[in-house]
Amino acid sequence: MVRLEKGKFDDFIRSLAEDYIVYAAVTTGGKSSFKVVASAGEIDEGRLLTDRSPKEIFFPHSEVLFEYDEDGIRETEKAGKPIAVWGLRGCDVKSLAMLDKVFGTARQMPDNEMFEDPYWKRKYDNSLIFGLACNEPRSSCFCNWLGGGPHSEDASDIFVIDAGDVFLMQPVSDKGKAFIGKMTDAAGASAQDEKRAAGASVAKASGADEKKAAELASGARAMMAEPPDLDGLDERLKGIFHEDIWEEMSAKCVNCGACAFVCSTCHCFDVQDEGKGGKGKRIRIWDSCMFPIFTREASGHNPRPLSRDRFKQRVMHKYSYFVDNYGESLCTGCGRCVIVCPVGVDIREVIKRVLSFEGKGAR
Amino acid sequence: MIEELREKVKKLLAGGDVELVIGWEKGSQPLSSTPVFIDSPEEADRLVFDSTCGNNPAVYSTKDARRLVKAGKKVGVVVKGCDARSLSLYVAEKQVKRDNIVIIGVPCRGVLDSDKVEELAGGREVLEYSEQDGKITVRGKDLDLTFDAKDVLSASCLACIYPDAKEYDIFIGEARDGKPNKEQNAAIDEFEKLSSEERWKRMEEIYSKCIRCYACRNVCPSCYCNECFVDQNDPQWIGKTPEITDTMIFHIIRNLHVAGRCVECGACERACPMGLDLLLLNRKAAREVEERFGYVTGIDSGEKPAMADFREDEKQNFIMG
Ligand code: SF4
Ligand code: SF4
Ligand code: SF4
Ligand code: SF4
Repeated sequence: MVRLEKGKFDDFIRSLAEDYIVYAAVTTGGKSSFKVVASAGEIDEGRLLTDRSPKEIFFPHSEVLFEYDEDGIRETEKAGKPIAVWGLRGCDVKSLAMLDKVFGTARQMPDNEMFEDPYWKRKYDNSLIFGLACNEPRSSCFCNWLGGGPHSEDASDIFVIDAGDVFLMQPVSDKGKAFIGKMTDAAGASAQDEKRAAGASVAKASGADEKKAAELASGARAMMAEPPDLDGLDERLKGIFHEDIWEEMSAKCVNCGACAFVCSTCHCFDVQDEGKGGKGKRIRIWDSCMFPIFTREASGHNPRPLSRDRFKQRVMHKYSYFVDNYGESLCTGCGRCVIVCPVGVDIREVIKRVLSFEGKGAR
Repeated sequence: MIEELREKVKKLLAGGDVELVIGWEKGSQPLSSTPVFIDSPEEADRLVFDSTCGNNPAVYSTKDARRLVKAGKKVGVVVKGCDARSLSLYVAEKQVKRDNIVIIGVPCRGVLDSDKVEELAGGREVLEYSEQDGKITVRGKDLDLTFDAKDVLSASCLACIYPDAKEYDIFIGEARDGKPNKEQNAAIDEFEKLSSEERWKRMEEIYSKCIRCYACRNVCPSCYCNECFVDQNDPQWIGKTPEITDTMIFHIIRNLHVAGRCVECGACERACPMGLDLLLLNRKAAREVEERFGYVTGIDSGEKPAMADFREDEKQNFIMG
């Protein structure tokens, strides 16, 4: 573990920005999201969670896949530098790792070719993720229901703890270890190499620092309520697929896309061609299973015609189908959907209702 | 007040006068209440009414799949003044039969704009909330603040002309008369003073923040089309991206579709996760409709809606030239 004095944080971000495109939480007009920054002053350090989820760094709301005209097809250029993300909370780090299972894992296509999503991979694969511990989780947080925790280091390259005047940095992945190694080497080589001068601001963390980190971790854990046991939730959901309980659980949902669009793990998309004359582009755009058009077929038939059917799909995908496909729930417990839902649907209440349901189909 | 509401609702349900009552119950978040569907007298104690009740419950009497609310069954709806206007509009637009709804008015003192509360709380999480005599108190860790309700009320409420239902079957307490509230329309006055370029710029500022989640449309009582134009793809009327060219078209068309039909409840603005000022254009349109056609939406269910009516003597000054 190393320590970075907050007074040197700006130097640190500036020097990071020389080698990386640096994303961090930025607030404009009262709403926050991950944006490209060049200095520490632009970063909103006070926020626990950004209003918009960080998935858009690697999976933008709309992304041009290629453009075409009479001369042919041109793929969009990839950015020159790799991406570094500063200050992702544990849930958000985890969400990216989940999305990587979907987009970044090679799978066999019908023509037997192996395919992985190049647009995702070229950004995510070389990225450097700075996880940031949550010292004060919100009442909407429930990462601890889903195997996470406010001080979870999982999937971070470097795990950062805000310990008052200093950031304590724990390298986690090989990439993270290499980065921290370089910083400490630079600190050793002192400041004659100007570009690495910022590295000189890190020092080995002291015993007191480590103690402080452990205290903050246990303090944060204690702030979260005991989670219910979600064992078997996926099977339970399958068992009640045809039950009327969905009517009750979805009654107030108005089928907007607010939950899906702020969700850090929802990743459905639509592909659209926008063109005129001989010129145009193909774009990938976020979509949501809550919208009726999402499953409407060319004939006009819609296999999920009712609000209830679409609500059920979102819950099933998160806590059952994704478990089948990837061995974990497609939810990190970030609670963004709980915060934004305009009619107060709380996914935790839905889960609890499913767990307590004793009617037909329940085990 | 709340006891009276619960008792009335129990009676309605026990006596078979209604099969279901739509209202609000306490939400899971400190600053939230959430729509609730009460179908037995025992459940009626879940009902609440306070300044967190920002949803317009009328919406549930038209949205798809509300089997509970299907025609033929009598349904009670607990309403603020603006929500009542939506029900009157539904009757006028023949979406709901007047005989099938029991309108239960509650005295509204305005509802909160949670973004304003959060701003005053300065990033500290609000864990508790209470209100008394026009004052709101919020508490949390290192947080104990009391402010005037009007500092955190929704823009819609600051300009409200009918805080209490104009048409109702039951009113809890005493319904106040509506009053014109012209002085609160400063934002629209300002907007009208701008040149068309400046207005466009203002609109771009607002709509560039939109993420196309459609929460505004879906909580809007006046947006009840079976299939919204944005959900059509053959032909496709509008691009799907969050770029300003697309978001602008969505909002302008929605604005025109609810002109003369918007009840200025502000539910859209409160629902928006990105904090867009959605009332500006909607209230501007409402003002236009009132000035040109002498029509205020949803205060008389017997009156034909402005956009469904033609009078020979009405002003024709919308025809440009
Ligand atoms: S479903 Fe809700 S809590 Fe789970 S990851 Fe998505 S926004 Fe977060
Ligand atoms: S759960 Fe809430 S945010 Fe999600 S679609 Fe339903 S109403 Fe919208
Ligand atoms: S447009 Fe907004 S203010 Fe107007 S009726 Fe719809 S939700 Fe209410
Ligand atoms: S609720 Fe807000 S972000 Fe969502 S579509 Fe409406 S204006 Fe856009």
